Amino acid sequence: MTMSWFAYTLMVFILLTAVTTALFRDVLSAIVVFGAYSLGMAIFYTFLLAPDVAMTEAAIGAGVTTILLLLTIARTTRPSTDRLFERVHWPGVVAVGAFAIVLLWTVLPEMVAVGAEDAPVWANADVTQYYIQHTYDDTGVQNAVTAVLAAYRGFDTFGEAVVVFAAGVAVLIVLKREVFA
Amino acid sequence: MADQYDDTYTESQVILTSVKIIAPFTLTYGLFMTFHGADTPGGSFQGGAIIGVTILMLAFAFGIEPTRQWLSNSTLVALIAGGVSIFLGVGLATMALGGAFLEYELFDEVLGIAPKWGMETIEIGGIALIVAGVVITLFFATASGFTPERGTDSSSSPGSVAGRGGDRDSENGGDDDD
Repeated sequence: MTMSWFAYTLMVFILLTAVTTALFRDVLSAIVVFGAYSLGMAIFYTFLLAPDVAMTEAAIGAGVTTILLLLTIARTTRPSTDRLFERVHWPGVVAVGAFAIVLLWTVLPEMVAVGAEDAPVWANADVTQYYIQHTYDDTGVQNAVTAVLAAYRGFDTFGEAVVVFAAGVAVLIVLKREVFA
Repeated sequence: MADQYDDTYTESQVILTSVKIIAPFTLTYGLFMTFHGADTPGGSFQGGAIIGVTILMLAFAFGIEPTRQWLSNSTLVALIAGGVSIFLGVGLATMALGGAFLEYELFDEVLGIAPKWGMETIEIGGIALIVAGVVITLFFATASGFTPERGTDSSSSPGSVAGRGGDRDSENGGDDDD
């Protein structure tokens, strides 16, 4: 799959927002840019043919996380600052940058193109092809992702649902409250 | 119960108007994603989150305290605990019919219900309710903040050192909820 110019522009946008999130000194600006980063990632996931992940990223990453972070600084302090960006620690940048380059150098050449026929996800007929071929007959739903989540590994999903429930309860415990609303 | 509203709220014509226009659509979209997640991308997790975010938008536009009072605690408890109970109930029902946990095929064999409807029940009645309820809970619990042990000590709350504009008072508005 060849990436369009729009996808490349989006990648630059994502990288820029990610770096500026780390660099901004003002917390409010960092949160706003982080929301833009999540939105960029959500659009980018649709280019990687993962609409389910894109919807989750848009709803949770760009929506709920941004609102909760905004609420948190509204409830705590927002240190006033005269400088726009953090002071950059250059030796750290060099170390992390070298590490990232080594990682990309070793990993990127091994990656197959998105949707390529020889990609392991397609070539492994025992797993991926099974779900694609049998989902509708087994469960009666057309979205294989939903079928895997709710039927093939339903017990795991029940565990996840209880984890979300436990998160709500844990917040009440931490805040020493007894009511949800 | 003191009728003390959240002081971080400022009425904005822009936010109020946009939320009034957008909220019905996001609610519909969240419901669509939940109910149609079996056949199209999406599903109850994403749909439940969008339904929850709709309430958060309303709270931003109309003020957190009025929204909290409109949305009673028992509603949220019913959402969250009810979701877990429905999910668990479907799983235990298949076990009661003699199968494994969430073995939907038994609904077909014993009751004549297509396995699809078992999945729809845990998606719509289980996960969507839990996620929507917890998103709303996280928001209101964070908004009310830490409830002080001894009375309301509003004068020393950290908002006053934040150097904000004049509309941001230091009142801690989370002590009037039970």
